[in-house]
Amino acid sequence: MVTSSSPIEKRARVELKDLIAAAGERFGTALSTSKSDKGYVLSLSVNQPGYLQSVCRFLFWDMGCPFGGIIAEEHPRHWHLYYVFLLPSAGWVEVTLQLPIETATIPSISSEVHAADWHEREVEDLFGLRFEGHPRLGDFILHDQVWHEGIEPMRKKFDADQPHLDRKPDVNWRPLLVVQDPGSFAMPVGPVYEGGLGEPLHFLLETVGEDVIRASPRLFYKYRAVEKIAEGKNISDVLLLAERFAATSAFAHSLAYCRAVEKIYAVEVPVRAAHLRVALCELERLRHHAGAIAAICESTALAVSAAHAAISEEELLRASCVFAGHRYLFGLNVPGGLMHDVEVNQCEGLFRAIDKAQAELHVLEDRLRYSSSFLDRLEDVGVVDGKQARDLNLVGPVGRASGLCCDLRKACPYSGYERYRFDVPYEREGDGYARLRVLFAEAFQSVTLVHQAIDALEPGPVCVPCEGTAPGAALGWVEAPRGTTLHWVSVDDKGTIERYRAITPSFNNWLGFHVAAENFAFQDFPIILATFGLSATECDR
Amino acid sequence: MMASITAASLVLFFVSCACGVLLSALVDRKHSGDVVAIAGTLSSLFMMLASAAVLVTGRSFEATLWVLQGFGPFTLRLDALSSVFLFAAGMVYFSISLFVRDFIGDQFEATHPAHRYGVMYFGLMASVGLILAANDALLFLISWECMSILCFLLINYEPQQQTDRSAGYIMLAMSEAGFLAIVIAFLILGKAAPDFSFRALGLASGGLSNRGLWSVFLLGFLGFGVKAGLVPVNFWLPRSYTAAPSLFIPVFAGVTLNLGFYGILRLNGDLVHSAYGTGVFALIVGSLTALVGILYATTESDMKTMLAYSSVENAGIVVAGLGAFLIYRASGHPVASAIALTAALYHIFNHSIYKTLLFQGTAYVEAETGTRDMDQLGGLSRLLPGLSVIFLVASLAISAVPPFNGFVSEWMTLQALLRCAVLSSASIKIVFALCGAALALTAALAVTCFVKTYAMSFLGVRRGAWKPQLHTQAGTRFPLVFLAVVCLLLGILPAYVIPILNRAVEPLAEASATSSLVPPFFTANSSNQELPPAFLQDFHNLGAQSGRKVLPGRGLVILLRGSAENPVVFAMSPSYSFAALAIMLFIAWFVVTRLTRQRATARRELWAGGIPRLFPEMTYTATGFSNPVRVVFQAVFRPNITEDTRQTVAVHFRTAIRRRRDETPVVDRLFLRPIGQAMGGVARFLAGMHHGRLNAYVAYVLGFLLIILFLFRAA
Amino acid sequence: MSFWFGHGLRRGIQSTRYPPFAESAPGVSPGRPINTEFPSSGDASETAAICPVGAITANGRMAFVDDGICIQCQRCRFGVRSPMNWQSGYEWTELPPGQADYETLPAAFAKSLHVMVVDAGDCGACLHEVKQLNNPLYNMHRLGLFFTATPRAADLLLVVGPVSENMREPLLKTYEAMPGSKRIMAVGACAITGGVFGRSFMCAGGVGSILPVDLEVPGSPPPPLAVLHGLLVASGRKLAAKSELVSRRSA
Repeated sequence: MVTSSSPIEKRARVELKDLIAAAGERFGTALSTSKSDKGYVLSLSVNQPGYLQSVCRFLFWDMGCPFGGIIAEEHPRHWHLYYVFLLPSAGWVEVTLQLPIETATIPSISSEVHAADWHEREVEDLFGLRFEGHPRLGDFILHDQVWHEGIEPMRKKFDADQPHLDRKPDVNWRPLLVVQDPGSFAMPVGPVYEGGLGEPLHFLLETVGEDVIRASPRLFYKYRAVEKIAEGKNISDVLLLAERFAATSAFAHSLAYCRAVEKIYAVEVPVRAAHLRVALCELERLRHHAGAIAAICESTALAVSAAHAAISEEELLRASCVFAGHRYLFGLNVPGGLMHDVEVNQCEGLFRAIDKAQAELHVLEDRLRYSSSFLDRLEDVGVVDGKQARDLNLVGPVGRASGLCCDLRKACPYSGYERYRFDVPYEREGDGYARLRVLFAEAFQSVTLVHQAIDALEPGPVCVPCEGTAPGAALGWVEAPRGTTLHWVSVDDKGTIERYRAITPSFNNWLGFHVAAENFAFQDFPIILATFGLSATECDR
Repeated sequence: MMASITAASLVLFFVSCACGVLLSALVDRKHSGDVVAIAGTLSSLFMMLASAAVLVTGRSFEATLWVLQGFGPFTLRLDALSSVFLFAAGMVYFSISLFVRDFIGDQFEATHPAHRYGVMYFGLMASVGLILAANDALLFLISWECMSILCFLLINYEPQQQTDRSAGYIMLAMSEAGFLAIVIAFLILGKAAPDFSFRALGLASGGLSNRGLWSVFLLGFLGFGVKAGLVPVNFWLPRSYTAAPSLFIPVFAGVTLNLGFYGILRLNGDLVHSAYGTGVFALIVGSLTALVGILYATTESDMKTMLAYSSVENAGIVVAGLGAFLIYRASGHPVASAIALTAALYHIFNHSIYKTLLFQGTAYVEAETGTRDMDQLGGLSRLLPGLSVIFLVASLAISAVPPFNGFVSEWMTLQALLRCAVLSSASIKIVFALCGAALALTAALAVTCFVKTYAMSFLGVRRGAWKPQLHTQAGTRFPLVFLAVVCLLLGILPAYVIPILNRAVEPLAEASATSSLVPPFFTANSSNQELPPAFLQDFHNLGAQSGRKVLPGRGLVILLRGSAENPVVFAMSPSYSFAALAIMLFIAWFVVTRLTRQRATARRELWAGGIPRLFPEMTYTATGFSNPVRVVFQAVFRPNITEDTRQTVAVHFRTAIRRRRDETPVVDRLFLRPIGQAMGGVARFLAGMHHGRLNAYVAYVLGFLLIILFLFRAA
Repeated sequence: MSFWFGHGLRRGIQSTRYPPFAESAPGVSPGRPINTEFPSSGDASETAAICPVGAITANGRMAFVDDGICIQCQRCRFGVRSPMNWQSGYEWTELPPGQADYETLPAAFAKSLHVMVVDAGDCGACLHEVKQLNNPLYNMHRLGLFFTATPRAADLLLVVGPVSENMREPLLKTYEAMPGSKRIMAVGACAITGGVFGRSFMCAGGVGSILPVDLEVPGSPPPPLAVLHGLLVASGRKLAAKSELVSRRSA
């Protein structure tokens, strides 16, 4: 159960030089390779847009590189599109495409790389670029019942500060139903459901009365245009935005952002700060997983176990507050290190808290294995098999439960992770119980990591100055509790943000929900949601 | 004098039917509705008058029409049993005739020449009267055949679709097969009889061997069972009901269905005193029919087909009661057999009333919206408020909810099954228990079915894309209201209905239902010697003597006496319950509206989770409501679901998922298909024998000769 | 099955003893900055300038904190030479500025308050803190406070988040669907003033611009005990005290 190589891909690891050689052989002059200093190990520049699809297919399927996301930038004269892939042995590979500003359409890659589906829809909704061959564009982020098509808020000419009252919402909007069975109907859930304690999501559960055949989620009720309002602000203000658009993994997001800024200004954080960052990251992961386990137990209505897991989570929140000053670890990361240091007695308090949490979680894991009514509701529910997970590029514990063993802490280590000894657990079944088992195993790994990190602390500074005057851009990445997180930061010479892009794990994993939520009993719906543990706020930004 | 009233009414009935036939054939389209209404109303009134005269006095009416050389006399006889059925038929026809008038000009004008329907309508009415009044087998059979053919014509005269035509042919084929079985049954019976009059046949039945009794029973049961809609011979019924013109379906469901029961009762209850096992057979077939009928009714979303299957279910309940009657009679328990037969007759009567009401409501709905599919309907209670109340009454009645009539008859049927405690054999009691359980399940499913029907059609929001079409006159409502009131009255005054039905029950069951079931009013110094004084005092204290001075009749409580240790086996009084219910409702209304402070009521939008509005496709459909039943009883339905997925971009992006559900009804699967395949196999074999070669044909003749010689060798 | 029962019993009663007694376990609240007097006005203005959202205003040697804007980023605590004074505690509920009084719900609601929570775009921290009220450590049920699944049965509307534009209509519909006497409570800096998201084409800048707010619970996020205090104020069992330690902005 605990190795680091994926059982799905039985091919040999592809080395960077092999990739460069194969790319040159296949595409010749249509593709130019170069080194990159923006956090990528390789930059492939597509010179003719017609080759974009085949390049992406080559990278995703032939070379086995997981897909990271699409970053779109508007420059005065041209569009700049980055397609990010991960080469597991080496690091991030970017495929860049530069098009004149008048271009209106780009070939879509989502028929080859399904994981790019929502990325392309987002670019179309926010920038207005149409992707030829994409089956469903529009009505994605800006809902057609509230906005009309063509607003394109991420364009430079759009003023984000003014309320946009000149709207023509579609009065004839109807939900798009997929199932065409005589007598089928769609049960609406949300956006205000579960007493409001569920995040605003709208589901249409299409059914013929017994089984739900298809669940179509509709997101972006919480879209606050973080990427847009970040433009023009200085780095420390955008740090607040990066930290606070998804608070349950705030430290991970702020870490990714800070790493990107540190990369721009080529700053190396002190060793003590690196260790502390690892400890805090793992503390956050432990607390998030305790909460996710509590949510799964709650969804199956096993009340006592849910209560105990919730107690563990609350005690970890309190421990975070004592250790770092804020329950959700806000305000700790700054570019260049951490804002303040910790003392020895705080570390001891932290150890006590996490050991207690670990003991409680061990008891839970042990006893849940024997609760047959609990297992009945999780086993074979919401199954995503390995091939589908690979297809849709699922990340995080969800992907690892389906056999995709890709963890950024091992694949391209950061903040000193290469110095630690830990395992990356994975499962194969891809059902709810597999996801639960992965959560437990990762939580225990986090405990050992916190111990290792704190034990390795040496006295020293925790912060170095991080500023500069040169414009630049870089990619920062982190394995957040829910999976692969990428932050792309581009600053100008005055130190204000020109483009800020956050690619979050929840955004990637919602495609997997489509696959998991097919032909299930209606009462399994909250369980599938809980085992996926996806966050609407992280996806919506 | 009463006899003359009966005679006169009968004569006038036939005369007005004949007038109806002639006028319908001659009068033009515009007035045909009036012809049907006037002549039909008159005929049905005469029907009811004739039968009422017989039931009230208890004296039957006999008349000889003419004598055929060698076959015997054609005689008419209206006894109590026939009169019960005749009265029910009269009520149904009365309601239909008035209902049809407003629709004929409107709906049928474009597609069907309405006047020819009138011909068949009145012909059918006359043949029904003849069947019920016939006192000899020949007249009976001739009028039965006329009835079958006219039913066929009613469907196939101007069929709207190909399926309608094939439905008509299937019905005709089954009717003829049933007719054949009935003829053979009468022939077996009449082998030893001097002529074919029912009296002679009844006397001859005493000399039949056990095998003869069984063959008469089976042939008669299955032959009449075709018309009654019993499993395994009822696969024509849903198709034909769906194909029949909406306005005339109540004739099928309210009249010809009852003829099947009449035939079974006449043949096996009256003429032949069947053996013990035949009752068990009838009970089991009835329970199975009821269960299969309601299962398909619950999962059906076309209103007409659903009501057809519901008729099958009610037929099953009736036949289960009849089976119990036969068993009790054969094992010498007259009181229990009287209860069972009363229950069955009551249910037949009730079914005619509320099924007519439901079908008329469906016709109304179809005229208003253009569709019968419950998945497309919804929100009709705002468009048709009066109809929705009446449909609700009919749904409650058929779901056996007090205070309506379905409750009384189903309750009595189940109680009759529970009376199996008086039987001695344990295996029979097990059979009764299982059949009782099946009927209880049926009753529960019937409630589901009609909750679905009423809620999905009348409540909620409009789901389909239809527009309201109908502008009706007030006259249409009278027959519906009339029947609804009858439903209520039959439900709250069973103590008056039972003595009337008793006139038919007593000769057959050899015990009086009235004296068993309806005790006189419970007065302190009552003259009722059968009941112990303490018992009387209890009931007197409960108030079971109210209304004695005002109301006629024996009493208002239905009660079966048991032994000394267990004085009351069962007791109920829908009359008093209804009175108590009315009083409580009045008190509640008074308190709420007059005595409590009026609070401000705010009307807000429907809460749907925050979405802009609740679209119709987000509300439950009829299929969705009943799908759990389909899933639980999957072994019966065996649906074949094929999924056809259409995708646009590789595998992950679905634009449409289409699923088709192919289902063959269980009766088709288990009976029609195998029989058809066997017949087909036989036909193919025979066709293979006819290849045209002369030598072979000579060989056939030779072979046949040899066989005959062998069979008739020295005897 | 019997294991879970015994396991729960073995753990004992875990609930906090608040409201009769104050809760003093470490970590229940991150605390907040309060009005501070500095040795010199230079210190005050330097500290005031560090605040990224402008919650601190310097006036001479005094630095005043507007807790409705403060997002608890702790920069005025750890990122400056002379930090602000810090108050631990959690009874922070206040009336919106410009409102003199809170009209309490009728007495029948005091021990039985049903709360409808609407997440109008918050980061997840405020919602998470509100959800923590259900766990045994806080156990709001013992105080007669409940979350409802439908606004038709709700007395109090609890809103978190700066009200994103796509959630504006669902929030309004939820408010419309609540019957009779109802109150609104805005929880978190985002719901009060828009927080870090402020006012933009996609964010309304707080609930107050859409609906009439009766009570505000500041913090980012307010710890569960602060939300609990807010609910007790809403049901009438505690008073929304005007704190002298912080200065609310004017309307």
